[in-house]
Amino acid sequence: MSDRQPIETHLTGVSRRGFLRTTGAGVAGGALATMLAARQAPAQIKGTTLRILQWSHFIPAYDTWFDNVFVKEWGDKNGVKVRVDHIPHLELPARMAAEFAAAAGHDIIMNGSSILTRLYYKSLADISDIYDGAGKKHGGWIPTAGPLVQVEGRTYGMPMFYILLPMLWRKDLFEANNLKAPDTWELARVAARTLKPKGHPTGIQFSQCADANLNWRSLLFSFGGAESDVSGENILIDSKETREALKFAKALYDEGMTPEVFSWDDASDNRYLASGVACWIHDAISAYRTTEDTNPDVFKNTHIAIEPAGPGGKRVSTSAANVYMIWKFSKNQQAAKEFLTYFVDSGPEGMVQSRGYNMPYLLGQAKKPMPIIGADPKMQILQDFPKIVAFYGYPGPFTTPIQEVVNLFVLPDMFTRVARGQAIEDVMKWGIGEYRRIFAKHKRA
Amino acid sequence: MTGSPLHGGPDPMARAAVVSVPAVSAARRRRLSHNGQRLMFGYTLLAPAALYVLLLVGAPFLFSLYLAVSDANVGDPVARFIGLENFRSALEMDVFWISLRNSVTFLVVAAILKSALGTSLAFLLLQNFKGKKLIRGLVVIPFTLPIAISVLSWKWMYDSQFSVINWVLSRMGLIGQFGTEGWPVWLGDPKLALLACIMVNVWRTFPFSAIVLLAGFTSVPNEILDAAKVDGCNFFQRFRNVVVPMIFPILMIGFLFDTVFTLSDLSVVYLLTQGGPANATKILPVLAYQVGIQAGNLGRGAAIALFLVPLLFPALILVLRNLKRREY
Repeated sequence: MSDRQPIETHLTGVSRRGFLRTTGAGVAGGALATMLAARQAPAQIKGTTLRILQWSHFIPAYDTWFDNVFVKEWGDKNGVKVRVDHIPHLELPARMAAEFAAAAGHDIIMNGSSILTRLYYKSLADISDIYDGAGKKHGGWIPTAGPLVQVEGRTYGMPMFYILLPMLWRKDLFEANNLKAPDTWELARVAARTLKPKGHPTGIQFSQCADANLNWRSLLFSFGGAESDVSGENILIDSKETREALKFAKALYDEGMTPEVFSWDDASDNRYLASGVACWIHDAISAYRTTEDTNPDVFKNTHIAIEPAGPGGKRVSTSAANVYMIWKFSKNQQAAKEFLTYFVDSGPEGMVQSRGYNMPYLLGQAKKPMPIIGADPKMQILQDFPKIVAFYGYPGPFTTPIQEVVNLFVLPDMFTRVARGQAIEDVMKWGIGEYRRIFAKHKRA
Repeated sequence: MTGSPLHGGPDPMARAAVVSVPAVSAARRRRLSHNGQRLMFGYTLLAPAALYVLLLVGAPFLFSLYLAVSDANVGDPVARFIGLENFRSALEMDVFWISLRNSVTFLVVAAILKSALGTSLAFLLLQNFKGKKLIRGLVVIPFTLPIAISVLSWKWMYDSQFSVINWVLSRMGLIGQFGTEGWPVWLGDPKLALLACIMVNVWRTFPFSAIVLLAGFTSVPNEILDAAKVDGCNFFQRFRNVVVPMIFPILMIGFLFDTVFTLSDLSVVYLLTQGGPANATKILPVLAYQVGIQAGNLGRGAAIALFLVPLLFPALILVLRNLKRREY
């Protein structure tokens, strides 16, 4: 007795099974597209539970809205019980490692600043379909979004928003001293040099914290420096531009800062601005918002500037990326995908609730006027950042060696060593050695 | 009649020999069975502790050994054996040697300060005064407070701008004004930063040292101390020649615990400085966490953490040898 062979039609060469598979996929795809368009989830997810782990937002009101309104509404509409857990962003990598080891935990996990796609992609759900769908729907992604979440042609995370660190400067102090707005790093240095003796120094963290990793990269990249090439395989830190950036940072420290910057954490510069001491800081707009809440007089005179240009006129703003991922072990991947689709579609609402903090990766959502920041004359400049935004590893992707470089604070340490008086060539030798050692270890592995 | 016994009947020795074999065997069996029962009882009592140690200490230790010789990372369930490569990589790291040096400095300075403060506090708590019980309860608060809360409070006290310590010292005229050279930046100056971290560790754990010592002191019979007094010993002589020898095992156990707690204290440094500025406060547990968990290289992180073992081993040997010598 022989197996039955599929009946083939002479005209098309399509088997019955193939036809059913193709049409089935087409119908399912069409239904999904319709449901997504109507923002209505399929019936299968009704009655399920979805667990989300994310950071505690720097704007606490955002968390209140997210947990009690946004998530609840989506859950009620789709019959899904959603539980949201918050932990400090620095604890996310450890929690992710624990959930991976246990193959249990949340369905959706957020990565903040440290984007661990390349470490975990084998254990993450492939969400290329919803990533591509969101891109098509909202006019595409900013170019630097893809490398954060894509490995070997597949997408393992949904870039949800990023956090800018612009220049926050005291217009009253600048004007009183005939200083130009800090449109370039050189102008920022002149301002710090002028205002420090008058009791208004500046400050950028020369310490081991997330802001130090971001701020010094912005300066380095604006000076024309680079971390790795687009393949992510080759180190580009050994350059004339890096040396120039280090030299500039040393001068900026000597002329415009006080030693307290060596002890700063991520919130110290917020306090420095809010206290009325700082002439300018380079920080997320949470500092601007904190000042608004705690020192209205200073807030009135605090303005936001575009990323200062380096000597060649280049502006690169290194931002803190935030990405949501779905575990492969999740038993509710469908609901997780539905939720992420809904979440990314609601980017503008997130911007409103975060008071302009959450910047969108989607070009359609980054069109002027953007919510909140488009309506505030002082914040409108933030709308120009999507063109210059970059992430760790620029111009290369956020690879695992770069992740180790970031977590060991190699680049901020290079700037710190120079500020403390070590010779630039000695520091370059040390820094390049660290980069090479880390990259070599990963290649060996 | 030949060979007949003197008192008639069978030879009593022979009878004894006949009956004694099973009698002795049964008694031994009973005795063995009794010993067996005692052993069984003993092992049953020991079992939870032994299981606890095996599961929660032995198994993770063996697992970390396995990780240290593999290329395991946080996102890949399959790890290959790579021999001592992770140890070699760790030794090649400039920051590893800085961390090792800082760990030893941290341990030694903290041990000295805790010994001095713990002993003083224990003696104070031995005295009779009103509210003694309340004070005894209060002194352990630093040890019982959640570490995140207490360290964050210290972070504020060390703040470069709003440090309450600096404001008090400044008002007293001991340091300069804010913004001048004389204003110490506790967590920004490499030497001060390590000292600041050590101080928080000491503040947290010296009450533990004091409680251990206090337990020892109260176990010394008053008669012996009185006898030493009658013999003309002063306070320090009584402490050195009477109290310390008598409570030596407790001191050793306290020393061991303290060494372990201090060497493996990740939280204080991580929460205060994350190892900065420029690695000035980086200690081995922080480096192991940053490499192993945050950067995802479990193998290398485990190898770095295992370098703590040679540091702990001499302390362990010293304690166990001393304790064993004093048992006999």
